[in-house]
Amino acid sequence: MSVVSIPPSAGATPPRRTPAGRIAPGRAGRPGTPPRRRRSRIVAARLGGGLAVLVPIVLISSFITYSLGALSNSDPAATILGQDAATPAAVARLNRTLGLNHPLIVQYWNWLTQAVHGNLGRSYFTQIPVAQSIAQRLPVDLSIAVLAVILAAVIGGSAGTIAAIRRGGWFDRGVTVVCSAASTLPAFVVGIILVVLFAVTAHLLPANGYVGPSTSIAQWLAHIILPSLALSLAVSADIARQLRTSLVEVLEQNYIVGARVRGLPYRRILVRHALRNAAGPALTILGNDFPLMLAGAVAAEAVFSLPGLGQLLLQSAQTRDIPVVQGLLLVVSCFVIVVNLIVNTTLNWLYRSDDGIGT
Amino acid sequence: MKRLIGPQSVLRLPSARIAIVVLLGIAVLTAFGSTLAPQNPLTINANALFQGPGAHHLLGTDYLGRDVLSRLMAGTRLSVLTALEAVGIGLVLGTGPGIATVFLGRWFDFAANRVTDALMTLPYIFFAVAVTAALGNGLVQAMVPVGILLAPFFFRITRAATLEHARAQYVEAAELMGASKLHVVRVHVLRKVLPTIAVTTASMTAAALLAVSFLTFLGIGVQPPAPTWGGVLSSDLDYLAQAPWAPFIPGALIAVTVGALNALADAFRDRRGAGTLAAQPGPIIRTHSTLEPADDDRQSQVA
Repeated sequence: MSVVSIPPSAGATPPRRTPAGRIAPGRAGRPGTPPRRRRSRIVAARLGGGLAVLVPIVLISSFITYSLGALSNSDPAATILGQDAATPAAVARLNRTLGLNHPLIVQYWNWLTQAVHGNLGRSYFTQIPVAQSIAQRLPVDLSIAVLAVILAAVIGGSAGTIAAIRRGGWFDRGVTVVCSAASTLPAFVVGIILVVLFAVTAHLLPANGYVGPSTSIAQWLAHIILPSLALSLAVSADIARQLRTSLVEVLEQNYIVGARVRGLPYRRILVRHALRNAAGPALTILGNDFPLMLAGAVAAEAVFSLPGLGQLLLQSAQTRDIPVVQGLLLVVSCFVIVVNLIVNTTLNWLYRSDDGIGT
Repeated sequence: MKRLIGPQSVLRLPSARIAIVVLLGIAVLTAFGSTLAPQNPLTINANALFQGPGAHHLLGTDYLGRDVLSRLMAGTRLSVLTALEAVGIGLVLGTGPGIATVFLGRWFDFAANRVTDALMTLPYIFFAVAVTAALGNGLVQAMVPVGILLAPFFFRITRAATLEHARAQYVEAAELMGASKLHVVRVHVLRKVLPTIAVTTASMTAAALLAVSFLTFLGIGVQPPAPTWGGVLSSDLDYLAQAPWAPFIPGALIAVTVGALNALADAFRDRRGAGTLAAQPGPIIRTHSTLEPADDDRQSQVA
């Protein structure tokens, strides 16, 4: 699914750190370096600024989410009451209870303030609190997504690194071919292929179902490894390609030659000098692909019949259970925002300059 | 001056040629798929369940004995057309503001960028399914949100490309000579941004095709007997024990189509360096040299 992951507009990939800052970091007393206390304040201000930018984003995306309910033109009170009991008076009373008699913007604000307190309303049909049913299913998707991120970082990272070190070799060419193929395969197709290979043909792993980690760690891993693998393949391919490109570029820099001339061990040069400077674009990809991972988690759930958020979404979409749909969309988009924040903070930290501020 | 885009030069790449042949095939299937199909895609044949590829059924049959080749051929139109619908929506919603933001001032730019950021936090599948919950189940309803979520990508790429071109020296010269904004956009900006938009359109079509096949795989927007690419896959999934090879056929079809679109986009990008000025032929001189920062110049223009 790499097709969507266009590198964002210029400026999202951080400029590379100059090697000079890396080689001579120890001189704390240098003029111009702010004292530690001021430095932490600068970092806090920067983080606060980043959070402030998020406010309009959260407001806009949650408003889009909420207004879906108004768009639906459905009559929730009539639905809840059923055909027989839905007299106009009863509908009006229930609308008042649900707060549906207010203008949209007031409804939205009430919903958002409630949501901040962890109350996403109740399902129109089951009357189960939305937050509760989301909390019940979130661990499934979270386990898959987190394991997929780890797998993507490990597989894509090592493949990209090895390909860059031995560029032009058979491994490099193989990685290029496999990456092009992998990024055209959607996660649900990969998932089906994995089921055929490992579950139906080889009977190595279960084809479907989910077991919580509290029941059995081994069973839990056995159930989530195939979905995670299916999910991580396209992202691994992206990461491998990006890391290879930037690592090849970094390895040709003069400071790498300089470090080798000074006789530093190659492994240390690779990890501390080259990978650190080359990892930025790959990390950005990981952050950008996270929404796709969540979409892919829905695919993995469908293929492996896992009881996750996607199944909840499909069920409530079928019954037009608007509060559940709104709650799901809000939770998922908040997740994406948080992950992007984490990735950006990591990038800032990775590319911090001597005064403690990101470049 | 040389023409900016040379289709011939792109066609020299073998990958681009193969991609174009594949896409032409898909286009033919889109137009005439149901007519060309060797058998009726809906005919149920209880005597030929789960048949492997053979002389009678070139790609085998499914769990109701329906001809898989015919189903895929007939399903092409719906899949491709709805993907194009989404791309069209994204193209219109994204490129217009993308170009406008450079000329309409900072507030519009700020607002458009925040809306873009907000849209990018919504995973497409959740948004699409949520919209079908609100507006009713249908593939057209499902692809409108996908198109809306594609718009940010068009917006960002167009905006970046427009920004680069709008600061070229000849644009400044045109403005000094009294050209209207509309003229500048039409003659100097749009024409140069179009190739970038074309590349984006190709890769976004690939994304939209994946989205459409995934949505139909989930059963969003299609009534069961109607054939779609994703629908064929999802029915294969239920009978893996009987026919483990079956999902590979629609899977390969989706992968080949998406791969062809990506290869075409890559070929254009390699030739032209999408969104960058460096790779372009022709004399493009930046107004703002290293001597002075960009903002000073804008002030001097006002003065």
